[in-house]
Amino acid sequence: MLFLIFALKENTMHFRNNYTAIRLIFLFLSGVMLLFIIAPLLGLFFSTSVPDLFQTIRDREVYSSIGLSLGVSALFTVLAALFALPLAYIMARKEFRGKAMLQGLIDIPIVLPHSAAGIAVLGFISRDSALGRFADILGFNLVGSPFAIGVAMAFVSVPFLINAARDGFQAVPLRLEQAARSLGASPFKVFRQISLPLARPSVITGLVMMFARGMSEFGAVVIVAYHPMTTPVLIFDRFNSYGLDYARPVAVLFIIICILVFIALRLPGRKTKGT
Amino acid sequence: MLSCRNMQYSVGDFTLRDFSLDLTKGDYCALLGPSGSGKTVILELIAGLRPLKKGSVYINGKDHTHTPAQHRPVGILFQDYALFPHMTVFQNISYPLKIRGKERSEIEKTVNALAAELDISRHLNRMPGTLSGGEKQRVALARTLVIHPLVLLLDEPLSALDAPLRESSVTLLKNVSAKGITILHVTHDPSEVITLAGRRISIAP
Repeated sequence: MLFLIFALKENTMHFRNNYTAIRLIFLFLSGVMLLFIIAPLLGLFFSTSVPDLFQTIRDREVYSSIGLSLGVSALFTVLAALFALPLAYIMARKEFRGKAMLQGLIDIPIVLPHSAAGIAVLGFISRDSALGRFADILGFNLVGSPFAIGVAMAFVSVPFLINAARDGFQAVPLRLEQAARSLGASPFKVFRQISLPLARPSVITGLVMMFARGMSEFGAVVIVAYHPMTTPVLIFDRFNSYGLDYARPVAVLFIIICILVFIALRLPGRKTKGT
Repeated sequence: MLSCRNMQYSVGDFTLRDFSLDLTKGDYCALLGPSGSGKTVILELIAGLRPLKKGSVYINGKDHTHTPAQHRPVGILFQDYALFPHMTVFQNISYPLKIRGKERSEIEKTVNALAAELDISRHLNRMPGTLSGGEKQRVALARTLVIHPLVLLLDEPLSALDAPLRESSVTLLKNVSAKGITILHVTHDPSEVITLAGRRISIAP
């Protein structure tokens, strides 16, 4: 009996020691990971002086580029949502031949090099394409326009919206939709009044992710429109033309704005989850 | 009132072959069968939530085989009640009336009267997640009855309730049946419908 108690105690102590060691290793590895994310950002902030930052805020080229990045990304996120949400709903609810292939197709922009995505979008809107020719007849050149920027932003970021919304719709119990149908709701009313409100946190997350990804896009945007300059292109341009010291304050300002926008847009989603 | 003729349907490993049923107005019929025998599928076929492969569904003499679920004069009470979690009890019960474009004053009057009848008036402003099983069932029943269905389909309505709640729920269902609504009650437990069902039909697994 004494031997059994001793063995159990030994075992528990061994487990505790083992557990503590694992916990320490995990804490250390997690710390390194967090440092990897935070260190470059902190370095960037500490190497930028406050007067430089205020001068940058007053720079017309900077604030017009920020306005362009935020405005175009927001507009194209809303426009894309009109098409992306029905697609996400179909992907969540319907079973059909080729669904896995279609899911792969939706994810393609995520895995493409963004410069290659830009080349693809350029082919779609250049004067050689049907859309480009049509715009040319109307007197517009799509290449180098805010429209081109928006299409490039949407192309690389819309999978985030589709996938988040699809997960949200999948989490809505089918029974609730069936109940609504049996109570007299048309399929569209079921979508609008039951599925969409219940999937709202995921849809908001998807919209935020798409908007944030879109406004910070560089690779695809720089191919379709160097001018007018979005902020990521402006940061690259200043770095290329004048060096690190000129690019840094713009980068810091844009990071601050990105973080503020990200926090502001995440708040409604968190509130919904809380209630 | 409800006439199902040679209903056929298959999904996965389950196949329903030539299921027929005839109920007259005011009938309370129990459909008995073990789990997995397709009882719920039969209810969903009658409600139009699944498309029939073959056969027909007549309600009150009218062919509803191809009528979409939202246009069938059928109410269904799901086993898990399927209350909308983002709506209050009042909003849940008034949902079918709102869809039908009823006036706000009429909606309030109807919902309040039904809530008083089912003894859930004090819960009208609560969210479904805060209700007990018995309360949820009454709310789901009120939401179904508010559309005055000709046929009421009950999917294991008593199985999730404990003994004391079952008794009050049986009384409630008797009262609903007394209104003359045709009821099809699906259950795996024959003892559940001893005092309720005038007719019993068993289906094989």
